[in-house]
This record gives sequence, structure tokens and C-alpha cells, in this order.
Amino acid sequence: MTNNSRHASSYRDPSGHVYVENGIIKRVIFSTYFSQYKALQNTGFFQKAFQHQLLIPHEELKVSETEIHIQPTQIPFITYPYEWSFQQYKEAALLTLKLQKYALQHGFSLKDATAYNVAFFHGKAIFIDTLSLDFYKENTPWRAYKQFITHFLGPLVLAKYHGADFLKTMTSFIDGIPLKLLSSLLPTRTKLNPFLYTNIHLLARYEHKHQEENVEKRKQATLSKKGLFNIIDSLYNYIKKIKLKEQSEWGDYYQKTNYSDTAFQQKSTIINDWIQQLNAKKIIDVGGNDGTFVRQISADITLALVGDIDNNAVNQNYYLVKKNKEAHIIPFTIDLLNPSPAIGFQNTERFSFIKRVANFQPDVTLALALIHHLSLTGNVPFENSAQFFASISNNLLIEFPKRTDSYVQRLLNAKAEFKNHFEHYQIENFEKAYSFYFELVDKRPINDSERVLYLFKKKK
Amino acid sequence: MEFLYFDAGLGAMLAQAAVAVVAGVAVFYKSIKYKIKTIFGLHKESSEEVFDDIDVDDKSLKKPSKNDQ
Repeated sequence: MTNNSRHASSYRDPSGHVYVENGIIKRVIFSTYFSQYKALQNTGFFQKAFQHQLLIPHEELKVSETEIHIQPTQIPFITYPYEWSFQQYKEAALLTLKLQKYALQHGFSLKDATAYNVAFFHGKAIFIDTLSLDFYKENTPWRAYKQFITHFLGPLVLAKYHGADFLKTMTSFIDGIPLKLLSSLLPTRTKLNPFLYTNIHLLARYEHKHQEENVEKRKQATLSKKGLFNIIDSLYNYIKKIKLKEQSEWGDYYQKTNYSDTAFQQKSTIINDWIQQLNAKKIIDVGGNDGTFVRQISADITLALVGDIDNNAVNQNYYLVKKNKEAHIIPFTIDLLNPSPAIGFQNTERFSFIKRVANFQPDVTLALALIHHLSLTGNVPFENSAQFFASISNNLLIEFPKRTDSYVQRLLNAKAEFKNHFEHYQIENFEKAYSFYFELVDKRPINDSERVLYLFKKKK
Repeated sequence: MEFLYFDAGLGAMLAQAAVAVVAGVAVFYKSIKYKIKTIFGLHKESSEEVFDDIDVDDKSLKKPSKNDQ
């Protein structure tokens, strides 16, 4: 049976929409967009943009007088802007500008520039909204300019001044951060920077001033192509160089561990053995730090999703993905105590993290050096974390740091007078709670450490 | 045909003229700085650099098309 349904996030653009047929993402294009589509195809622009890896490739499925159906290359897992590390966010912004400049050089222009037009695939950012390309009309400004500022430049500059955690707040602004708010959140001294003054503060003032006016006046707005190139080049130059105050670009993120090289080696070996034993192809590591343990896996993995709460660790992971050209790892930021919700109209435009992982159907979940954070920092009872892991995948590879572990001790000591409220944090209680949802397959203590590795299989 | 399916913002459309002037100065200054640095051999490519320049070179394609600028 054919299941053909319009994707809930795809209703804004009348040129066509995305639909899902038998689990495959496809796109229907309506006649209002035929002239653009044909021009993009006949001039060879599509083909070149595919080869430059700027735009997601697609195949034409069927053409009728009223509709054209295309099937883009399928992306196995979508991460949203509020799950990107700072450098990923930067790359998505740069890609959008790069595509816009390339399009302008060929007589086209992006008619929208939302951050949701970009996905991460095969170790790099790629533009996924094929219908965003439109004809360029001489002497007209970029109609997606405001969107670019509210979706990309704004969040990046705010992250520069307030930290990468700011990017998480983008769950609240599906249409980009409002200009007035953006301008007010920036330090006053940014008004002295000609780039930030014009692209943000002046823009916010203009928008405020003209908000009541008739849109017809828009026709008065003109801009030479040279001017447009200047805007795009200067945005690119600025964003390429933007850095977080809290961090020294990529490369020197240090992974703090409290165990020895022997323990590290043994832990890697056990993980490797179990992954091979399971013949796991799709993996999710929910506390993956900078991807260290996923990179130790020698078995052939199709895709590994590696999430971490620490934006810097995800940055470092992404840096390694790019440096080593690893197509099978998707790094993202995630706070398991508050995973990304479903957002947008009817809460259906962007799916929750839990729903996306459920659709992805990983063969195994890795939860290394994580349970003490969930249990002691987040106060999540073992029963609840077991239930959570059981909802993600059939196999669970989890590390339990015992009460005597120095990290656990530190977390317990931080509880001060409430320390004795956490007496339940014992290995026996952990095993008991997890046995309700899982069967124990294997259990191995890591020598020279206070940690135990478990391989669990979900009960039927 | 023009699509007005989201508000491009009148202010944002008008503001771009001013933004472009400042951007023009910045882009011009950067190109001069780059040329001077290149002449004096001061231009360094950082090995940590992950992002390339904005310009996409069609010569890198296997079959260059006539439509290239």
C-alpha cells in the first residue's frame, strides 16, 4: 500500500512540497515553479551545484502537465540548528552564502535562507531545499537577507558574546531570532563595529521604522548586483572568522578522564568485541564526548550518531570528522535531561529528538560515562533511565561507574548535606532496575578502574 | 513570477543599500590587505583552517560547462 503524505514541515512554499512515500522523502513541484525548475535544469546549474556538493542531488521521477516529482538523495538523520555545534552552525551559514553567490553568478538567487534548509550529510553541510532557488532580477536586493540575519548571523554573533549554549535557544525561534531582540541582546559596543552596526542594529531600526508601511513601497528598494556581491562577501568573511570568546577555535579540546591507558584500552576492546558480536551497523552514542570511543570501533559501521551536551566536545568531534573525512559520523549537541522538543505549528514541523531516534532505529545505544550524570546530576531514578534506553534501541551498551569512582564521589560530595539522599546509587540497584527492561548479555569490569561495562538486550 | 510567501521585510529590503556601502568598503580593504600581504610574503595559510573561500571554481568540475562566468 502506498502511503503518500505531505511532510508536516513543508507547507510554507507554494512552489511545491515534500512528502513521504513508503518511508522515502520525495518532492512535488507545481506549475508555478516550472519555469525556474526547467531553467535550473537546462542551464546545467543543478548538475554543477550537485558536483560542487552545494545542493542535495535529486532524480526526476515523473513529469506531468501539472506536477513534477523528484526524489532527493536520502539523508538518514536530520539534526536541527539548535543541535549544531558552533562550527557546524558556521558551516551551515557559509554554505548558504556560498550557494547564494554561485546562484547569483548564474542568474539565480535564494528566495529563502532559513537554517532548516541545511542538513549534515557525509561529513559536511549540504543545502536540502531545492525549491529555494529562484530567478535573480537585476537591481533587486536579496529578499532572503533578513532571514539570513535572523537565522544565521544573529545566533552566531550572540553565541560569540554569550557562549555557544545560546544556540540551544533557537528552539524558541523557528523563524529566526527577532531583529529587535537580537539588537538589544548585543553589547552596546557592537554599534561601533560598522559590519555589526549595519547588518544588525541599522537593520533592526529600518525594520521597526517601516513595519507599518505598504509593501508596495518595496519596489523602491534597489540594489546593484555589485552591491549584493559585496554584502554576501562581507557576510562570508565575517562569519568565517567569527570565534567563540570561551574557546580557542578548534583543535585543542582536551578530554578529561579519570582512568589509565590500560583501562582505556580494555574499555575500547570490550566495546569493539560487543559491537562485532551484535553486528551493529547503526549506532547512537548519547554521551559521546568528542567521538573518541566511536573512533575506536573497528567494525564496519554505516552510521554513528554521536551526541554530547558539551558544545566544545561536539565541535572537536566535528573537526575530526572534517579532518579525517569521516562520512559515517554525525556529531550533534544534546542534553538528555532536556532533549530537543517537537516544535512549530501543531508541534509537528520539527520532530523531537526522541521521535527522530525512534525512526532511525539504531542497532545499539552506547551510554558511556553517562549514568552517574543522569542519576546524580539529573536525579533521574534508574527505573526511568532504563525505560528511556529501552525506548531507543534493542541493545544497550552502558558503563556504570561505581560509588567508589572519583567522578561519582565528586558528584556526591557536591550534594553536601543531601548526600545521604543518594544512597540508592549502588551497582545492585542499577542491575535490579535495568533487569526489569533488559536481559543481561554480558558484564565486564574494567581493570584498573571503578567502572563496569554492561551489554543489555531489551526484553520482548 | 515572484513569491511572497514570507515577509521579506520592507525595512530589510531598503536597508541593504546602506549595508552594501559599508560591505563594499570592508571587501575592498580586505582585498588590498591581502594583496599587500602577498607581495611581502606575509600571507599565511593556517593548517587549522577548515572553511575555504566563498568562490566556487567550476574548473574543478570534470566537465566544465559553457555557462560558467
